[in-house]
Amino acid sequence: MTTELQPLHGNQACALAAVAAGCRFFAGYPITPSSEIAEHMSHELPRVGGVFVQMEDEIGSLAACIGASFGGAKAMTATSGPGFSLMQENLGYAAMTETPCVIVNVMRGGPSTGMPTRPAQGDLMQARWGTHGDHPIIVLTPASVQEIYTETTRAFALSERFRVPVVVLYDQVVAQLLESIEVPPAEQSVAADRPWAAAGNGFQPYAETESLVPPMVRPGEGLRVHTTGLTHAPTGFPTQAPPVADRALKRLLEKIEKHRDVIDKSDAYRCEDAEIVIVACGITARAARRAVATLREEGVKAGLFRPLTMWPFPERAFRAATANARRVLVPELNAGQLILEVERLTAGRRPVAGLNRVDGEPLAPRQISDRVKELARHD
Amino acid sequence: MTEPLAFDIREYLRLELMPHFMCPGCGHGIALRALLWAVHELGIAKDKLAVVSGIGCSGRVGAYIDANTYHTTHGRPLAFATGLALARPDLKVVVITGDGDCLAIGGNHLLHACRRNLDLTCLMFNNEVYGMTGGQVSPTTSATRLTTTTPTGNAEPVFDACRIAEAAGASFVGREVTRQVPALKNLIKSAMSHVGFSFVEVISDCTEIYGRKNDLGEAPEMILHQKADMRPEAFGNVADQPFRPNRLTTGILSQHDLPEYGETYRARAALLRSGEK
Amino acid sequence: MSRLEIRLAGSGGQGLITGARILFEAFSMEGRRAAQSQSYEPTSRGGFCYSDLILADDATDYPLVTGLDVLIALDQTGADRSAAMVKPGATVLYDERLVTAPPAGEFNAHALPLNAHAVSAGSARGANIVALGAYAAMSGTCRLESLEEAIRRETPERFVAMNLEAARAGFRLGKERS
Repeated sequence: MTTELQPLHGNQACALAAVAAGCRFFAGYPITPSSEIAEHMSHELPRVGGVFVQMEDEIGSLAACIGASFGGAKAMTATSGPGFSLMQENLGYAAMTETPCVIVNVMRGGPSTGMPTRPAQGDLMQARWGTHGDHPIIVLTPASVQEIYTETTRAFALSERFRVPVVVLYDQVVAQLLESIEVPPAEQSVAADRPWAAAGNGFQPYAETESLVPPMVRPGEGLRVHTTGLTHAPTGFPTQAPPVADRALKRLLEKIEKHRDVIDKSDAYRCEDAEIVIVACGITARAARRAVATLREEGVKAGLFRPLTMWPFPERAFRAATANARRVLVPELNAGQLILEVERLTAGRRPVAGLNRVDGEPLAPRQISDRVKELARHD
Repeated sequence: MTEPLAFDIREYLRLELMPHFMCPGCGHGIALRALLWAVHELGIAKDKLAVVSGIGCSGRVGAYIDANTYHTTHGRPLAFATGLALARPDLKVVVITGDGDCLAIGGNHLLHACRRNLDLTCLMFNNEVYGMTGGQVSPTTSATRLTTTTPTGNAEPVFDACRIAEAAGASFVGREVTRQVPALKNLIKSAMSHVGFSFVEVISDCTEIYGRKNDLGEAPEMILHQKADMRPEAFGNVADQPFRPNRLTTGILSQHDLPEYGETYRARAALLRSGEK
Repeated sequence: MSRLEIRLAGSGGQGLITGARILFEAFSMEGRRAAQSQSYEPTSRGGFCYSDLILADDATDYPLVTGLDVLIALDQTGADRSAAMVKPGATVLYDERLVTAPPAGEFNAHALPLNAHAVSAGSARGANIVALGAYAAMSGTCRLESLEEAIRRETPERFVAMNLEAARAGFRLGKERS
């Protein structure tokens, strides 16, 4: 079956995908280069019985999303660097209370106000570790308008299924890019609801279950529970009893680890016989893909490994993709973030080199292929 | 008028959490009682009641209510409640916040919640101090009071939360003291019956920390002095302080019939959808 | 034909983004995959502005310019600021009056009366559309019918007739010059 191609901008695809996934609540605050997502949501949501609200800041935006999600709505907010910084506290709250929500962060140059209209990939580590304390989180990194669509719908599916905040992280170039994409049939895009709790005696909102994801209580239907950002017992009420606190946090982390087979996603291009594997995401991965194509024409055995789930990092697929490589190159639009994870996983078994750009311009395919050839000269 | 039903507070409490965490003499328990009494007399089903609170002593009160209770982040309960109320207009949403939670860290959310006029009730328990963290100065700490961060007495002017709320567009504003429990209950009833954003300042007491630090006596003395102690005259000439109330008025301070945001939004959305058919 | 990189360059307000969007639609109808990007700055009027189109037979890998195969320059600013990115042998179309110093190099360069034809078609603001018509005719990469259909889809109702006229004028111009 062929689907008709539809021309969409990146941010527009994000909004349409969210609505298709079942998002019925959006709260946001204007910020370049993500504002188009809010604009599209303000048009789309009232048409499908949802609610859009422009809040007073990004703190309130994520708070309102979590509040709507308490009520049972699939909720999303979208922002960029400075706003993402403001969201960190409530992001931790969503992780702690296991309230599903999707946060889109369109990366621009930083730190601080930085370069609002220029692309960057400087929030890779913030997206993983931005909020305080150990916490579960899933971060997806689409590289094209098509992937913004599919990864946004996947963000809702993962967030609902595992009751965890999911960050969709992409850069300004892809956000503003116009590409024709295949819009999947609606029924393929709808994200299943989080597991719902049924009323019954002795119900505990954070009890251990086989999946480690407890069913969630929808208010107004007979179960009345307490939700708190304080460390809580299976009853939902605060606790500081060491064994209970220990288990509470470990379950949060284990529920992600346990489901890595569903959560992990990556793409390996010509890695089988690659002597040098490039690891990249977003617009940089697309430059790298072009570089691999031209390098192969010149007889250089290069490959590309691209995490689509950035966090948790798809370790197994990465190890498989780099198993035969002599070297690894990590080009990225920051001073060296993704390379830290790659070095951790490579553990000194082969040299890892970086290629970094922080001047507000994307890395061009030529820069990557030149760097590969330069590295190959050492072999 | 029909005779109010007998009110047994235990029906509305999570008794398994007793004893509660509040200090002896704390006014927050009285405020909690007034809220539950109002809920009872309004006949609101516990299943349909959502209580959203922030951080601080006031924030911990919600957990004791046998309803849908959400203990959120510091200063943000109004923003959480905004999302919940918009997503679930069938729920009765009440926010419990404190003077620091609502007026300092959460001040911006208060302003915009007032302006937006969404149908929810905000109860601000004002005990003039950050109790949970050990007694630091708050935006409502009276002049010259000693706190752990004002060792020579508070020199900062105070906020009048009710005047802020009204100026920001709240369609219902009221204030009451915990000394007057039936009046407080009635005020909360009026606030919860009002369609739109209702703001109620509940004058509470922190006896254990603030009272002791300032030698204000035991709980009974503090309650008896609730009105007098909050008068700003102690700070200086009222005429020179135009943004401060010259006395602590109580009851419904203002009420306006203004379009409720959720209703307006849904009506416009329905119109949009019917136009497309 | 594999990868093809096209830029419309000029100043803000000349309809460069609309032009690229129309070309994007037209090529889509021709079965080509495209990625379109543009200068993205806080200001939206005046100053250097460009809009790029990367064409491929399949989904585009790198969606940004690496070396222009086609430059359509509506004024001198557009020509000057894009010159360094034009590949040797590229096609360069520019307005004969507003571009007095075309990019120097081994290009297949054509000075065209884009503005003059646009004025005849109804408004100088249609110079972008005249250029599209001329490019379609000279390159043979896009049929006039596809361009016309794209114009119907992408331009506001009240400008459709004028833009169609501009495209046809441009197409005739392109035929004469090729």
